[in-house]
Amino acid sequence: MDKVTLQVFANHARAAAENMAYTLYRTAHSTFVKETEDFTVQILEPGGTVAAVPMDFGATWYPGIDYSAAIGMIGDYEPGDIGFTNDPYSGYLATHVPDLHMWKPIFEDGEILAWACGHIHNTDMGGAVPASLSRSLTEVHQEGIRFPPMKMVRRGEVNEEALRVMLLNVRKPEQNLGDLKAFTGALNTGERKLRAMVRKFGVDGFRAGLAGVLDYAEHQAREVLRSIPDGEYSFSDYCDEDGPDGNPVRLALRLVIKGDEAVLDFTGTDPQLTSALNVPTGSHPRHTLLLVGVFYVLYTLNPQILLNAGLTRPFTCIVPEGTALNPRFPAAVGMRSLTCARLRSLIFGTFGLAIPERMPAAPAGSSSIMNVMTTDNRTQRSVLAAINPIVGGGGGMPTRDGTNGSGADSAYLKNTPVEITETEVPIRILRYGLMPDTGGAGRWRGGLATALDFTVFAPNSRVTARNRDRCRFRPWGILGGKAGAPSDFVLNPGTAREKVLGNIDLVTMDPGDVLHIHSPGGGGRGDPLAREPARVLLDVKRGYVSAAAAQRDYGVVLRDGAVDEAGTEALRAALRAACPANGAHFDFGPEREAHERVWTAEGYAAMTEIMTALPTHWRFFVKTRLFAMLKDPAADSAAAVRHAFGRLREDYPGLAA
Amino acid sequence: MGWRIGVDIGGTFIDFCALEESSGRMHTLKVLTTPEEPGREVLEGVALLQERHGLDPASVTAFVHGTTVGINTVIQRKGAPLALVTNAGFEDVVELARLRMPEMYSLFCARPEQLIPRDRIFGVGGRILSDGSEAEPLDEEAVRQAAAKARAAGAEGIVVSFLHAYRNPAHEQAAKAVLRAAAPDLFVFCAAEIWPVIREYERTTTGILNGYVHPRVDRYLGSLEQALAARGVRATPMITKSNGGIMRAGLGRTACVSMLLSGTASGVMGAAFLARKAGVARALTLDIGGTSADVALILDGEPQFGTGELIGEFPLHVPSVSVSSIGDGGGSIATVDGFGMLKVGPESAGSTPGPACYGRGGEHATITDAMAVCGLLGHVPLAYASVAMDRAKAAAVVGRLAAQLGRSLEETGEAIVDVAISSMFAEVNKLVARYGVDLRDFTLLPFGGAGPMLGCLLARELGIGRVMIPRRPGVVSALGGLVADAKNDVVRTLFLDLEPANLPALRRALSELRAEGERWLREDQRFAGPAAIRLTADMRYRGQSFEIEAPLDPAWIEDGDLPALLGAFHRRHDAIYDFHDAEAAVQVVNLRLVVIGATDPPELPEEPRVEGGPIPERMVRAWLDGAWREVPLFLRSSLHHGHAFHGPAIVAQEDSTACIPGGFAASVDAQGNLHLTAEG
Repeated sequence: MDKVTLQVFANHARAAAENMAYTLYRTAHSTFVKETEDFTVQILEPGGTVAAVPMDFGATWYPGIDYSAAIGMIGDYEPGDIGFTNDPYSGYLATHVPDLHMWKPIFEDGEILAWACGHIHNTDMGGAVPASLSRSLTEVHQEGIRFPPMKMVRRGEVNEEALRVMLLNVRKPEQNLGDLKAFTGALNTGERKLRAMVRKFGVDGFRAGLAGVLDYAEHQAREVLRSIPDGEYSFSDYCDEDGPDGNPVRLALRLVIKGDEAVLDFTGTDPQLTSALNVPTGSHPRHTLLLVGVFYVLYTLNPQILLNAGLTRPFTCIVPEGTALNPRFPAAVGMRSLTCARLRSLIFGTFGLAIPERMPAAPAGSSSIMNVMTTDNRTQRSVLAAINPIVGGGGGMPTRDGTNGSGADSAYLKNTPVEITETEVPIRILRYGLMPDTGGAGRWRGGLATALDFTVFAPNSRVTARNRDRCRFRPWGILGGKAGAPSDFVLNPGTAREKVLGNIDLVTMDPGDVLHIHSPGGGGRGDPLAREPARVLLDVKRGYVSAAAAQRDYGVVLRDGAVDEAGTEALRAALRAACPANGAHFDFGPEREAHERVWTAEGYAAMTEIMTALPTHWRFFVKTRLFAMLKDPAADSAAAVRHAFGRLREDYPGLAA
Repeated sequence: MGWRIGVDIGGTFIDFCALEESSGRMHTLKVLTTPEEPGREVLEGVALLQERHGLDPASVTAFVHGTTVGINTVIQRKGAPLALVTNAGFEDVVELARLRMPEMYSLFCARPEQLIPRDRIFGVGGRILSDGSEAEPLDEEAVRQAAAKARAAGAEGIVVSFLHAYRNPAHEQAAKAVLRAAAPDLFVFCAAEIWPVIREYERTTTGILNGYVHPRVDRYLGSLEQALAARGVRATPMITKSNGGIMRAGLGRTACVSMLLSGTASGVMGAAFLARKAGVARALTLDIGGTSADVALILDGEPQFGTGELIGEFPLHVPSVSVSSIGDGGGSIATVDGFGMLKVGPESAGSTPGPACYGRGGEHATITDAMAVCGLLGHVPLAYASVAMDRAKAAAVVGRLAAQLGRSLEETGEAIVDVAISSMFAEVNKLVARYGVDLRDFTLLPFGGAGPMLGCLLARELGIGRVMIPRRPGVVSALGGLVADAKNDVVRTLFLDLEPANLPALRRALSELRAEGERWLREDQRFAGPAAIRLTADMRYRGQSFEIEAPLDPAWIEDGDLPALLGAFHRRHDAIYDFHDAEAAVQVVNLRLVVIGATDPPELPEEPRVEGGPIPERMVRAWLDGAWREVPLFLRSSLHHGHAFHGPAIVAQEDSTACIPGGFAASVDAQGNLHLTAEG
């Protein structure tokens, strides 16, 4: 297909995808789908990979999603069929149980020319807990009812039996049903639009167009890769906890760039977890969840990029089985969002090693969703409501500060107005704003964290804060920039009843209790002592940075609301002398440094080796024991790990087998 | 009998539409804008009307003006330095906004520089709760200190915005009084006075927009009023509003936000008027100028309204005519990328330097240049002869792309147009999906300088079978001002369940809104004719977090007819979302009333029907649908009621050129509109 027609085709394909997305959004019943836009739609080429997605709607994760395995699990398709699944382990399409994926073949003369498809996140799919999601769940069976790929609609007739089973097992059947209808409607819209495209471009033209847009995206991705120096770049990042009160989860990546291709080797990532933080990717060399961070990088480096599976072609992922990024059945996966955020920062950090001049420091990397359940004292009615996503700032950019309070990979989230929350929920918000001194110091400062303080009026009010992370391991700074501040969660701060909650995600409040939460801040970029004093002064005037921090972190002395030039010069010289630049690419903050004094790269390598040889069901147990045994730095940390494992083998004969 | 004058200021030109009431004759005029001296071009235009058409300023009965002075103040960041006084603990309300940012795939997404920087935002103690009760008294001393700090920081005005002030404005009013006393030289606006509706960010940012543009708008309208009076125009000058209505220019000096979108809104009003006159109930208006391409839906002869239209980078939350941008107009620049893909936009040559063929220094191939190399433009002088078409320049810039694409010049021109049209197609599709309408029973109504140039091509891509090109496409916005009614919106946030116990509160709110509307119309607008009202409510099912607006009959509230009120909401929900839930509890979030003082629509004289076919000015060579063709060039002035012909053809007039591809049948109606119908 000639390139002019291909551009016209690409616009029509995007229009078809956007039409589906708007239709789904418009007709969806659940507030969840409407508010969070937690849905996606795609147009697939006949083989089941993505050819087009909407640009400004829905979630950002699935331009590279691969339906082929799930499609193949149903045999004979006929016109009017719609396939569906929500099982994370059937074809690795759905990535947790609440996500229901559906796909509809577009036939022409008995042949499938394309697929219209997408997913919606159902508020609840049954299982052990309301909303089906909790990090404490240990196997996928607890996370709700699962359907392997099967037909939801057969030749236009709804599969009532499957539907009845679903509706029987979920907590809000009317919402699931309403959203399912809307979804079906959207797929039918997609089919109409795709048929119109077949008429416009002809059958052959349509085929060539789908192939062409994938080739075009591939070309764009390769062009970006060619602009990145060949080499091997290794990095690791951590989730704070592998479960309640748990140990860190380490994600590791070795990125190898050669010409216009890249290999992402995740070997060295922690073993799969006995909590719901696993990310199911099924050993797929280009699983979309592994590449979400890559999509961000590509788009950031070339905003003209076409988002489809063509982008994934130059990339190959290696993820050993039985790890947190490729768990074996029946590992629980419900809270994979938390790990996915870390996976993205892992990828941003690794690409940053390759192209430091073009990448930002770490974004906050934790988007906690707050829900409160309390009682209205006047009506005595129990009220459950989502308050706000607590999102952090972006990382310092090459030529500007990180975005405050949002940005980078959480730019799609929306908040709820304070006035709406206070009208609907009997709580009082005392503060909602930016948290000073949370952005990592740097030539370009990290974006500030968001803080929220509120109080309740009824006893036994329960607050959940899902996806909390980065309480311990901070968003890293780069090129001399400092790490951003960690997040925090405190009951009754500054009082005798103060209680630091850390990563606890459920807290009970009594009348008058005040709960404070703030997100992490973005990492800083470049030497803070090189930041123009005037800019630091402005930060102080704007309340983004305290005068004390201006002096401590930036070496800027302020006097009577102005920069003391001489004092600043002297202080900066002293700071430089006291702490000469060490040339390190990253600044991680004291917590990670302390952790890595005990758990060095060598120590982790030794553990990875041990884990690889172990059966999956032993791995998490052994990791937990090793962490309990190894609390102090060792001269030879690899030997210490091996020694500890030797002792475990003595204690647990089953390990030897 | 006298003259009614409508004036609209665009990016490059200011358009005049002058109606001589005795004869019904319409005179139009275009004058280049004088950005350095806004208002001077208005007087220049009036002088030209005097000169050319014998206008007597004293006989002007209506002077309605749409202006971009407000929106340009925001876009160019030339507004007043302001301070914001708000609740302590919530000082970041404008920076955090609603969190979400437009470019969600970019790690470099960033917020715009705020109109009020954080160091001029002052939090003060005091708190009103959601039920309007006071939880903590206003800290007046803190307000006084804020006034001092604001002045020290160079602020010229202060916006006051407190939580839940839509429910109880006492703290805002008290703070205003303190500020007035402490800093009499600073102007003060309270956000809840401007648009008293729930949602703090939306209300605050609307208040800030108002304060930000206030001094410039105030000066501009003040000097315009004086200048017109000095010229002998005795009629009270009116300005067009974002809501499609008009108000006295004097009111706009403080109610600035209600006129920020005056130009785009009056274009849609003008188009809707023409559509109604022509018996077209459902239309998609397409307004393309040099720097913008906008569409709007007309349903049952009426434009659609909404809130949240963008002013520069900031959402405006007063009711406005809903207009969607689908591109950057005729000045959009075409490029070829490394893969050989042809892209059009998002870069634009703007109005300066503009397309290469305008010969004003443009170096890039634009859509207009593409039309020029295809021989579709430039057969008659453009824009009232103010622009000279240089086709060689167009050929040079398009030629560069042709070499990259390996195509001929004219093939490349057509390719640029095809790609531009397909991208507009994609944008219109979003609007269609959002409203859930089927465009096949719509008429496309192109206007603006470049609307008729691209209208048929876009209609073909969208599957729209009918196109109506107004007699004077370039001055539809100016015409919109002439036909608009005096109109104002008032609102009360209620946030209550629709149930019997709440009927008294609804009745009270309705009577307050009626009184407020009446007061605006009679006292502010000084309108003496009959008044009409339109009542609507923003409603939702309990648990939803967004509202939809449903039209209500005031009698339902007065008579306590709950089933009728509920039914109105269910119907609307069904129309928009394809379902409703008769069992669910329904909430009324806002009650809204529009008060209208009707303007007598001008009688446009009907042209007698002529026999015979139109006579082409000449045949011209044009590249259309992949081939050079000899096509007739018609002058619009020689097309008359009853004339009919078939595409391909080109129709040229002083303010625009219409391109009619093969497959369209054309006919001219009694008002001079050109109707095009897809054949076969």
